[in-house]
Amino acid sequence: MQENGNNTDAGPRLAIRNLTKSFGSYKAVNDISLTIQGGEIFGFLGPNGAGKTTTIKMIAGLLKPDTGSIAINGHSLAEKPQHCKKITGYIPDRPYLYEKLTGLEFLQFMASLYQLLPEQYNKHVPHFMNLFDLTDWQNHLIESYSHGMRQKLIITAAFMLEPPLIIVDEPMVGLDPKSAKIVKELFKNHARQGRTIFLSTHSLEIAEELCDQIAIITTGRIITTGNLATLRKEAKLQDSGLEDIFLELTGAYELHEVIAALRNEHSTSQ
Amino acid sequence: MRSALLKPFWWSIKNRFLPPGKVPFKTIGAALFSLAICLVIYLLSIKVIGYFHRQNELGIILSLKIFQMAWITLFAMLIFSCMVSAVSTLFLSEDNEIIFASPSPPAEIYFMRYITTSVYTSWMMIVFSLPVFAAYGQVFQADMLYWLFLGITVAATSAIATAFGMLLTVILVTLFPARRTKDIILYLSLLFGIFIYIMFRLMRPEDLVNPDKYVQFVDYLSTISKPAGPYVPAAWAANFLSLYLLDRQIDWLLFSLIVISPFSLFFLGEWAMERMFFSGYTKSQESFGGYRSFASHLKYRLSVWQWSFSKEAKTFIRDSAEWSQLFMIGALVVVYLYNFKSLPVNRSIFEEEYVTNLISFLNIGLTGFIITSLSARFVYPSIGTEGGAFYHIRSAPISITRFLLYKFLFYAVPFTILALLLVIASDRLLNIEGPMWWFSVITTLVITWTVVAMALGFGAMHADFKAENRAAALGSMGAILYLFTAMGFQLAIIFCGALPAYRLVRNWLKGMDLLASDIAILIGWSLASLLLAAGVSLFFFRKGVKRLENFG
Repeated sequence: MQENGNNTDAGPRLAIRNLTKSFGSYKAVNDISLTIQGGEIFGFLGPNGAGKTTTIKMIAGLLKPDTGSIAINGHSLAEKPQHCKKITGYIPDRPYLYEKLTGLEFLQFMASLYQLLPEQYNKHVPHFMNLFDLTDWQNHLIESYSHGMRQKLIITAAFMLEPPLIIVDEPMVGLDPKSAKIVKELFKNHARQGRTIFLSTHSLEIAEELCDQIAIITTGRIITTGNLATLRKEAKLQDSGLEDIFLELTGAYELHEVIAALRNEHSTSQ
Repeated sequence: MRSALLKPFWWSIKNRFLPPGKVPFKTIGAALFSLAICLVIYLLSIKVIGYFHRQNELGIILSLKIFQMAWITLFAMLIFSCMVSAVSTLFLSEDNEIIFASPSPPAEIYFMRYITTSVYTSWMMIVFSLPVFAAYGQVFQADMLYWLFLGITVAATSAIATAFGMLLTVILVTLFPARRTKDIILYLSLLFGIFIYIMFRLMRPEDLVNPDKYVQFVDYLSTISKPAGPYVPAAWAANFLSLYLLDRQIDWLLFSLIVISPFSLFFLGEWAMERMFFSGYTKSQESFGGYRSFASHLKYRLSVWQWSFSKEAKTFIRDSAEWSQLFMIGALVVVYLYNFKSLPVNRSIFEEEYVTNLISFLNIGLTGFIITSLSARFVYPSIGTEGGAFYHIRSAPISITRFLLYKFLFYAVPFTILALLLVIASDRLLNIEGPMWWFSVITTLVITWTVVAMALGFGAMHADFKAENRAAALGSMGAILYLFTAMGFQLAIIFCGALPAYRLVRNWLKGMDLLASDIAILIGWSLASLLLAAGVSLFFFRKGVKRLENFG
């Protein structure tokens, strides 16, 4: 991969303008706009069905938006899809891997798709395989891998490319605590090098720990964007954590009543 | 980049058939078995074609007419097979996410899918047809050039079918505003039905034994070099090779058409892909939204079999890629029966009853072949398509034997109806009465139940719960072994049944009683067939159960 985080492409790392996507009469993403700079870890939060994965798929070039534009490093995704994809790594929530390939064969395949230079491949692959304890498994067929191992392999495939932008959909699912810690450090390190992580997650702890900026999306619309301090101010919860802020902003405040009702039900049944 | 995209395909094949660090006994066994089957097809074809060839000029023409029909059938099946799998490989393949998120241009993705679809859909047709076409070369004492032309025409026909199927798929998926992309197969199946119907009508098989045509034999001989279906690439191939076999003449126009068409269609497909793929692919993802709702009409009852049947039926009916193929089966039945209706048996040079009874006997094998093919399509993958959800069955208090038995009953019923429809309707059209009617119906039933049980057994033994798509499951080692074993079983039953059937029908037609030796042969064959059927069914069924019980 020739491009890296220090390239001179103009414009913000990721610029989304008035993006809309409907499935039939259902508006999954409704006129959202975002600007993300290099060196940021950007958290994209929202309840189930809020439009997170649809947005991510549009940024990864997997779904065609109805209206709006996406630009990566100043290049329009619609006009220069190959260029934009080359500088973007994508880690899906349910990583599809070729069952009949070995881990190493899969990485070789991904490296060749992104035209990764051999010296970079030789430098990064042993490093990440070792980091994720996959070295002993690299010549085994992927069909024998556990869910966590598959997740680690797809994360390796994205990070070995050193792309300026990595889009991640639910990164920690299936990872053991050690691997989860390593992934968090990888994200931070990636951002320190001036690159960007666009992170969609349900885990508020991860978002709170990692993200410089957070956007909360619900029913296809972004209801707020900013750092934790901005979100606190918006939710009028000055000393609260992200969980309370999230619940307040996404309208899940009735949750307290539900919990109380469940507790009541439990005590009467006893 | 083009070669990079093909890496998973080649490496998967290598790892599947030549597992690293292991002696590939399974692959060697399957290869030897396939070779043996090809050899049997080759030798049988030489016998049949040689018989025609030795008769007179009419025999030669008849054999070449069969040659043309074989080509057109091959082509039609290739197109259908390709269209069905092109939707899966182009738009629904699970690896689309990583392939399409990578900086690969659509044209290169098209090339990769073109190659993989060609291999998945063509290999079986080619393996089965090559021995037949080779036998023609042998009987007609063709020189080296024929073998070269044969290789080129087979490869070109397969390439044309794939390119045409994919081009049509890309266009249709983009044009139809269907959210559920799989529904497109419905239209493709209907188109295929119409296509195959037209193809068979073009051949006019009834003209082969029309005495009026015999008078014009010389004219017929001279016109055989002209394309029978001028717009059908398979007819170009058939006519080109027929002419070469007959007169050692090369029709360069036909040859040019055969060679240029695959490239033209490929580039058209690539052009369509570059312009239309993204919209089509986006639509195909929208189909996963699940905007349909289904009200349950069944009240809960404590009945495992009822819910097993209900689950099977609902998953089948709600998957449009599955149920829409019923249209294809419908078209197949119509064309199949139409052929019997069109047979001019009354103009045959042999006694009509003998001819119709012989056709009825051979029809058992044809029906069996159709049932086997459909079992490979629907029954064999039915275990693997349980997918990740199979752990529910494993962890539930139901034995695997019972689970498989319910599956067997679920599939045995429609397959029995279809088999009976095919055999009874064709017997009716042939005016078959008496012993051959019973013989054909009972033998067909035994074959149907056995091949369905075998499909389940093989499907369980080789269940691939992570199959990339159904096309991949059909091209698996297990599916190949199933097809060969099921066909071997049918050949054994039919081959051994020829003598008792012949004596039974001969005596009935002549109004004579059966001799004791005839009865002994009939009973012996019946018992042996039933034992063989029960034996192979139980053997593979149990092997399947064992494999699933030990599945980790």
